Amino acid sequence: MSSSLTNFGYQQKELPVKVRNIGLALLLIGLVLAVIGYFVEPVRSMFNNIILLTFIISIGLGSLFFVALEYVTGAIWSVPFRRVMEFLAATLLIVPIIALPLLFNLHDIFHWTHPEVMKTDKLLAGKAPYLNEEFFIVRFLVFAALWILFYYAITLTSKKQDSTKETKLTRRNIKISAVFIPVFALTVSFTAIDWLMTLEPHWFSTIYGVYYFSGTVLAALAAGTYAIVSLNEKGYLLKGLDKDHYYSLGALLFAFVNFWAYIAFSQFLLIWYANLPEETIWFLQRWDGSWKYISILLMIVQFLVPYFGLLSQPSKKDGKKLKFFAVWILAAHYIDLYWLAMPTFSKEGFVLGWIELAYPILAVGIVVLVFSLKSKKSNFVAIGDPKLKRGIEFKL
Amino acid sequence: MSEVDYSVELSVVEGRPGLREIEDLITKPLESKPDKKFFIAISITLTMLMIGVIGLGLTVYYGIGMWGNNNPVGWGFGIVNFVFWVGIGHAGTLISAILFLLRQKWRNGIARFAEGMTIFAVMTAGIFPLIHVGRPWLAGYLFPYPNQHSIWVNFTSPLLWDVFAVSTYFTVSFVFWYVGLIPDFAALREKTSNKIKHIVYSIFSLGWRGSNKHWQNYEMVYLILAGFATPLVLSVHTIVSFDFAVSIIPGWHTTIFPPYFVAGAVFSGFAMVQNVLIFVRKIFNYEHIITIDTLEKMNKIILLTGTLVGYAYAMEFFIAWYSGVQAEQFTFINRAFGPYAWAYWIMISCNVISPQLFWFKKLRRSLVPMFIIAVFVNVGMWFERFVIVISSLSRDFLPSSWAYFTPTATDFAILIGSFGLFFTLVLLFTKALPVVSIAEIKAVVDGAQPTHKEH
Amino acid sequence: MSEKKLYSYTALFNTPDEIIHAVEKVSEKGYKNYDVNTPYPVHGMDGAMKLPPSKLGYIALVLGLSGMMAGLLMTYWMSAIDYPINIGGKPIFSFPAYIPIIFEITVLFAAVGTVLAMLLFFFKLPNNSHPLHGTNYMKAVSSDKFGISIQVDDKLFVKEEVINLFKELGSTEINPVYYDEVEINYKNKIFEPKFIMFLVVAFILTSGATYVTLNKLMFMVPFDWMSNQEKVIPQSKSMFYSDGFGMRTPVEGTIARGHIPYPYKGDLEAASAMPNPLLPTKENMKLGQQKYDTFCSLCHGYHGEGDSRLRGQFPNPPSLHSEKVRNWSDGSIYHVIMEGQNIMPAYSSQLTNDEKWAVILHLRALQRSLNAKETDLQ
Repeated sequence: MSSSLTNFGYQQKELPVKVRNIGLALLLIGLVLAVIGYFVEPVRSMFNNIILLTFIISIGLGSLFFVALEYVTGAIWSVPFRRVMEFLAATLLIVPIIALPLLFNLHDIFHWTHPEVMKTDKLLAGKAPYLNEEFFIVRFLVFAALWILFYYAITLTSKKQDSTKETKLTRRNIKISAVFIPVFALTVSFTAIDWLMTLEPHWFSTIYGVYYFSGTVLAALAAGTYAIVSLNEKGYLLKGLDKDHYYSLGALLFAFVNFWAYIAFSQFLLIWYANLPEETIWFLQRWDGSWKYISILLMIVQFLVPYFGLLSQPSKKDGKKLKFFAVWILAAHYIDLYWLAMPTFSKEGFVLGWIELAYPILAVGIVVLVFSLKSKKSNFVAIGDPKLKRGIEFKL
Repeated sequence: MSEVDYSVELSVVEGRPGLREIEDLITKPLESKPDKKFFIAISITLTMLMIGVIGLGLTVYYGIGMWGNNNPVGWGFGIVNFVFWVGIGHAGTLISAILFLLRQKWRNGIARFAEGMTIFAVMTAGIFPLIHVGRPWLAGYLFPYPNQHSIWVNFTSPLLWDVFAVSTYFTVSFVFWYVGLIPDFAALREKTSNKIKHIVYSIFSLGWRGSNKHWQNYEMVYLILAGFATPLVLSVHTIVSFDFAVSIIPGWHTTIFPPYFVAGAVFSGFAMVQNVLIFVRKIFNYEHIITIDTLEKMNKIILLTGTLVGYAYAMEFFIAWYSGVQAEQFTFINRAFGPYAWAYWIMISCNVISPQLFWFKKLRRSLVPMFIIAVFVNVGMWFERFVIVISSLSRDFLPSSWAYFTPTATDFAILIGSFGLFFTLVLLFTKALPVVSIAEIKAVVDGAQPTHKEH
Repeated sequence: MSEKKLYSYTALFNTPDEIIHAVEKVSEKGYKNYDVNTPYPVHGMDGAMKLPPSKLGYIALVLGLSGMMAGLLMTYWMSAIDYPINIGGKPIFSFPAYIPIIFEITVLFAAVGTVLAMLLFFFKLPNNSHPLHGTNYMKAVSSDKFGISIQVDDKLFVKEEVINLFKELGSTEINPVYYDEVEINYKNKIFEPKFIMFLVVAFILTSGATYVTLNKLMFMVPFDWMSNQEKVIPQSKSMFYSDGFGMRTPVEGTIARGHIPYPYKGDLEAASAMPNPLLPTKENMKLGQQKYDTFCSLCHGYHGEGDSRLRGQFPNPPSLHSEKVRNWSDGSIYHVIMEGQNIMPAYSSQLTNDEKWAVILHLRALQRSLNAKETDLQ
């Protein structure tokens, strides 16, 4: 095989500087507002910071999950744009930095960090072996370390293959991915429990980890879809990626929209039906005052609209529609996290001010900047992957 | 097999057989008289079935009192077996619908068989709630039709959801199965020289002509059916889990039940399909159609779902402790160390530990170990339902009413009979219908599709 | 053989590439009434045949939505309108609990309906009398060959041209297909005596089986065990007691739960001094009205004017707005309710103590409404 054939005519192309500058600008705007917010309303800012943290984990960890999933399942169609997901997974590196302000302010956010409460509240006293600051911080650091470790293990192997084109690297990544997936399942569940569920330390739900997982994969897939379709339209990826690839992306988005709804409904129905006060309190809080509107909005935004939008075959093949719904779903996931975290901060009704707007801007800035920095001097396509040819020729 | 070439697609069917060769091979069991082995097998299953029929007869004549059910364990083997068999019935639709949507071509070799098993498993499962209602001849009242009491069914009851879910599931699975069979009936119709068979196949093939104007719509409908069957298959075991989870019995009321039950159902269903397939491919010489690669992929799914089930066990345990609810904490301690600890540890070792052996490629690809592990999985999944139903009920909120559940001979007779019914139907199926979809397999043989290069 | 007509010319090909190529050429030439028969769906054939996309997706959507509406309306009408029952304190229309059923009905409608629509309306099946049936062509294309058949009724059909075209394309076998007009029968057969007889027999069997099940089988052993139980049914004879009665009278001196002895039996004077222990709160007034409407309004009328719906059947009850009743003390009225008066029976067992007093509150309100005082306006 000649070298031009093995590279499939791929020519390295860099993202315009504009993209990075936009990312940087958004990041700075968001950061400045967030810092001001911290001095004006520290507690409220920290709750927003939790949303930001879990949102970035969603995108980073979810993307890494999709990369691992492709290796483990031996999927073909996604090979030509696996690298895009790898770039998105790089946001995992920022996670400890985002968590830093939170780790110093645990006292303001988590009710269970107050020792006087833990002594007097019998229920919480029983949870003390799990709910204590030391263990919490250790857990988070271990999780973050694992994520970053697996991120490097998988992406570096993948990158190495660009030049060496060795098949054994694929095999190595399959093994790493197979180990990563159980690690992912556990860490994502306990991240959800730690950062979101323990905001209400009395409340509990066994499906909570799965609920966050469903949002995570949805958000990562949406971010990936947006990036892939945009890059493909601008010619950064290989030629020949067309309707069949788009259709697969759209179908997955559609499937995970349904999965999220299924998990959310399961959790709601069981708690609503059994009507035990220690469980219903959580949903009642989210039905109190103006929170009701956010709850209703969430059903419409994260399920009904994307469901009907992506239902038909042509809409799954339409790049424009895919991009629109990708952004839509990302926003929906952000609202979802807001709905999970914020009711603890403001029980009477939802709050929406400039602080709440600063953090999404910061989130977009982080993702865009990390993506553009990571993609610098790097191939957008895993040109050394032995499955690449089949991936391009993929037909439904 | 250490040198896998990722750059070429693995053939679903090994050895590039001709289309007619495949057809002959698949239809061979239908055209030959059953041999001695078949009669031995069916006499065993019929004996088992007879044992079950006796058990059922005793139950109908004397009543549910023949069973071990008593206060506080009002749901005994009846519900355990029901959930077990409905679970077995999940693999078929998963293989035929979800893997179809995921474009997994290896499913083509096993889809028909798995779908057949789905239908038989759901039929077997349907017996249990029917006799459990006590007077099965009045079961018509489970459906909302205008009756002389002018009262309607209770739509709020998860048991009624079951009626809708299981009957819908059976109907749709059957339709799905039949739609898949139509082209095969047409092929059989053209192939057979027997006049009676020709008439029968003509009727069931509805006059299918393999017209491409038809194929186009047919493929569309297959896709639509798969699209509907996918949420349906999830909903069925979800609703079965609601039977337990909407109550407030500790150990039953936990929000992870729906996905956990679905994973468990797929887990046990795949194990059962794999068990039977190992025999089928050997007896009918389908080794190159149902390849080791296919079995390996099934084993991977068994590993995945087994681990998911393990995750659910662990999460339940953790949250029970975390919740601080005494009754919940007690229930889980009681499961692991109480009077039913033996069942619990059978469940854990069969469901969580034994599939972990599938991490080893060698075990995934050799028949005897995979067969043994799959049997363990089936045993484990039966015990999972046993643990859920029995251990939670036998020790609920009121210690004065605690009691140990002891199944009776009738219980076991019906359990044995359910296996007898299932395997009798499976055996008859292998002789009456093509157990591998002829049209679908032809479509994935190497060289069966145009090369796309010309245009 | 003379009655046989030509249906089409058919050609067989060996590989999928050949058939795709052939179909492309045939459709290029402008033939419309032709069909391609293959043992399995060949990818890219829709494009080669220039078939419009399948419309079944829309049909499935419409059927699914109608199933959803049907499920929603059914559950709503049955449980909230026709026979509302409070179940476990849940709302009469418990939408979250109905979602599973609505979902199942949606899937059932859509899946079964789409398949039936495809088979019956799109394919016009079952149809076992198509000209292609029973031909060698059919045998071949059901097994391992790929066939194309151009029909005679195509506008461009010219026998020689078609044969030449097939030859050019490299077909291995070219054959005409004939059909017998008698065989192809599209007429309705539902009025044939055979079919009517079948319907009659089916009807008799079904109704007979239903009759036997509902009227005979249900009363046979063991199905009647539930209705023949060894329990005491009101008014039934009992072998257990020597007097043969199933129901027992209580032991002398038994006092029923909640029984309060009435000390003023037959003594209106003494009773009239009793004060009303209830305050005219909203709940008490409501209770009083409810009980009054149930027990008193039959004779006294809803407004206490003695204008009830039973008027005229016996001596009319007097109006409760008379001077006499208005001036009665609460205790006196209580006494009348307890013991009855003239032809009015006693209501001591129908109403509890509190309910009686609540009724009196309601009665006072009724009286006040017709004879309001000036002070009420303030």
